[in-house]
Amino acid sequence: MNINTPASIANTPLIDIFKFITTLSILSCFTFASCSQQPEASIDYNKSYPSQDGGTMISAMTGEPSGLIFMVAGESASAAIASNIFNSLLKYNGNLDIEGDLAESWQISDDQKTITFKLKPNLLWADGKPLTSADVLFTWKTVTDENTRSPYASDYQLVSNAEATDALTFKVTYGQVYAPALDSWASLHILPKHLLAGQDIRTTSFARKPVGSNYYQLSQWNHGENLKLTRNPNSVLGQAAIDQLVTRIIPDNSAQFLELMADNIDSMGLDPIKYSRIIPARPELKKNLNLYKELGNSYTYLGFNLKHKPFDDIRVRKAINYAIDKQEIIDGVYLGLGINISSPYKPGTRWSNPTLKPYSYDPEKSRALLKEAGFTKNANGILERDGKPFAFEIITNQNKEREKSAVIIQRRLKEIGIDVKIRAIEWASFISRFINTGDFDVVILGWGLGLDPDQYNIWHSSQQAPGQFNFIGYNNPTVDKLLEQGRSELNPDKRQEIYHTFTEQLLADSPIVYLSAGYGLTAIHKRIEGIVNPIPPAGIGYDSHKWYIPKPYRRNQISAN
Amino acid sequence: MQKNILVKALSNPLALAGFIIIMVMFLLAMLAPWIAPYDPDAFDVKAILLSPSWQHWMGTDGLGRDVFSRMLFGGRISLLVGLVAVGISTAIGIVLGALAGYYRGWVDTVIMRLVDIMLSIPSFFLILAVIAFLTPSIINIMIVIGLTSWMGVTRLVRAEFLSLSNREFVLASRTLGAKDMRLIFIHLLPNSLTPIIVSAVLGVAGAVLLESGLSFLGLGVQAPQASWGNILTDGKEYIQFAWWLSLYPGMAILLTVLGYNLLGEGLRDALDPRSQSS
Repeated sequence: MNINTPASIANTPLIDIFKFITTLSILSCFTFASCSQQPEASIDYNKSYPSQDGGTMISAMTGEPSGLIFMVAGESASAAIASNIFNSLLKYNGNLDIEGDLAESWQISDDQKTITFKLKPNLLWADGKPLTSADVLFTWKTVTDENTRSPYASDYQLVSNAEATDALTFKVTYGQVYAPALDSWASLHILPKHLLAGQDIRTTSFARKPVGSNYYQLSQWNHGENLKLTRNPNSVLGQAAIDQLVTRIIPDNSAQFLELMADNIDSMGLDPIKYSRIIPARPELKKNLNLYKELGNSYTYLGFNLKHKPFDDIRVRKAINYAIDKQEIIDGVYLGLGINISSPYKPGTRWSNPTLKPYSYDPEKSRALLKEAGFTKNANGILERDGKPFAFEIITNQNKEREKSAVIIQRRLKEIGIDVKIRAIEWASFISRFINTGDFDVVILGWGLGLDPDQYNIWHSSQQAPGQFNFIGYNNPTVDKLLEQGRSELNPDKRQEIYHTFTEQLLADSPIVYLSAGYGLTAIHKRIEGIVNPIPPAGIGYDSHKWYIPKPYRRNQISAN
Repeated sequence: MQKNILVKALSNPLALAGFIIIMVMFLLAMLAPWIAPYDPDAFDVKAILLSPSWQHWMGTDGLGRDVFSRMLFGGRISLLVGLVAVGISTAIGIVLGALAGYYRGWVDTVIMRLVDIMLSIPSFFLILAVIAFLTPSIINIMIVIGLTSWMGVTRLVRAEFLSLSNREFVLASRTLGAKDMRLIFIHLLPNSLTPIIVSAVLGVAGAVLLESGLSFLGLGVQAPQASWGNILTDGKEYIQFAWWLSLYPGMAILLTVLGYNLLGEGLRDALDPRSQSS
């Protein structure tokens, strides 16, 4: 679970200047066409070929990973690269069912507290050394170690006893039944003991030259430029089709897009305007690119600081909820590429309660609720209570979509007499100065969620310390109890019932206003074949080792840098 | 005397062009509420990123707001910030420069060292640092720009005072028993006014650029208020597609800065006896 900042982590002002200059220089390069190397006369990328090995796929990312040990780095850039290098015990298939990754099978004891994993035989690390349950035990010890300071430690600290009974068996026992247990083992990258034992996990050079067991291994890392992965010959899970994955680090989204247009990268994430306005308007781009759209497991919301007046008053929160037209935000900011939601779960999954309806846009109801809460209009048309005008500041990070949403909300709230100011703050200081200290009235933020429905970290009243995720100060004993029950309930149907009640309670309390569940938008060059479309629930990249590039479509090896 | 200089300066065609540009900009900004065809903050989610047309002369932005209307209202901010910021810096510069140039001695040393210290700090980064601690707003921007750009004026005024205070009319007045205040305000200041005006005019150009830069970085004027700088930021993302979001504010900033510079140069030439042509 992480606070969601699509493409905006690197959005500090100084980098912006730099980006602007890069954009301009790339643009001039582009328009004069002399410095961009055009591929040989138009190739028809619409033919399909049978799968074949080889080739290089180039993608782009905005931020450079700080290291490739994910349990330490804890950031999306690190996960994107490291998941090609490392395996977990378990993984999700296309339909999000759990299946074995390094584990061949697993058994849950009758009291639901012990899980016994059986590893696949003859597993190897990329350096040829055997991968055994000792490595798994070592990884568990490392992630729970206080010195590792992993943000994910708490999931694994619930294990009261872990042992490697033989080379292929790994057994964990929980103090009490913990429903998200299996999910947690599907996200822990198993690390090699023989290379890391005795080293400080936070400072080891292994983070920069990792050895894993998955389809690819890191072959080169040019800092600030790119990371190159090549096929791991010792991968016992089979071989990936594409030889080399190059990930270029291009901090600016518009610079990435220029590279995509010049055919220097094969894939990138898009914003709604590029997806539905710019690319469709340009036949030469549409000809070579496939566009993909998938509903992500994340949403954007407007959150109230429940410890501040007047947001402690449920009538005020509901009034604001009724005063915001979510569809207008989805249409105007996300160009229709979003869903109006009523619970913090991905629509269409079993945890999302289909009987709940989002708050409608109803300014009349909103006015009535505010009147009931004791607000009256003053001479300037602003609502007032006890002589104090109703005014507050919405803060958000420097994210174009969120800033635009704020402008639309500002306008709507002004119509019912609330005076709103907007402030967009650079990400690092946004978190440290405002979120962690609770020094804010209203925020616009997003949550990127895991697959398990457990949202204890976000909504439980015990999670309000600085740096913890319940920074809005939500406190509802009924919800606390439901979240505790949900964690220790293993029967999926009963669990579903618990979380449906939880979402109903949450919607009624209106501690946040759900703005939109947005789509993940991706452009991938047509030279990459074998991509499953429509995208399965697990996401576009879940079986990317099967993607391939037919020979006639490959770039000249020299230019593929 | 001031009038003659203006007339003289405007006989230079470039300076005249600068003067006209600035006057037109001011006129457009002042008449914005009457000229603007749309409410600058009214968005229309059905008219996002429309290219320039008869309905929207300069197209619409990412929220469907009319760029022409936003340019007019944004011009008010950009021009106002330029004027007020330079007003502040000139006022500080005159006071400190006059003190240093008139009293000399330790007063001069202290003030001049302060100027040296301020000049040794890159002013743009100083402004960024200060704004990071304050809430970004027009008032704060004007004050901060004013407080960080007075050093040039101070040096100028001091130099004028140093050279003027040995001139006969000043010495005569002093011999007749004139007080410090009378000497400063009646004799020295009016005679150093013209170079101050020139530097102020050139200073406005710098301040307009600074404000645009800060707004471009998101540290200046805050949404939904428009300024040329933040319209430009909105355009950055779509520069290959929605050129009108970058071109028009860019042109407006360019023209304004050019206008002030041409006028400033013209005034300087008109004032400088050495550059007088026949």
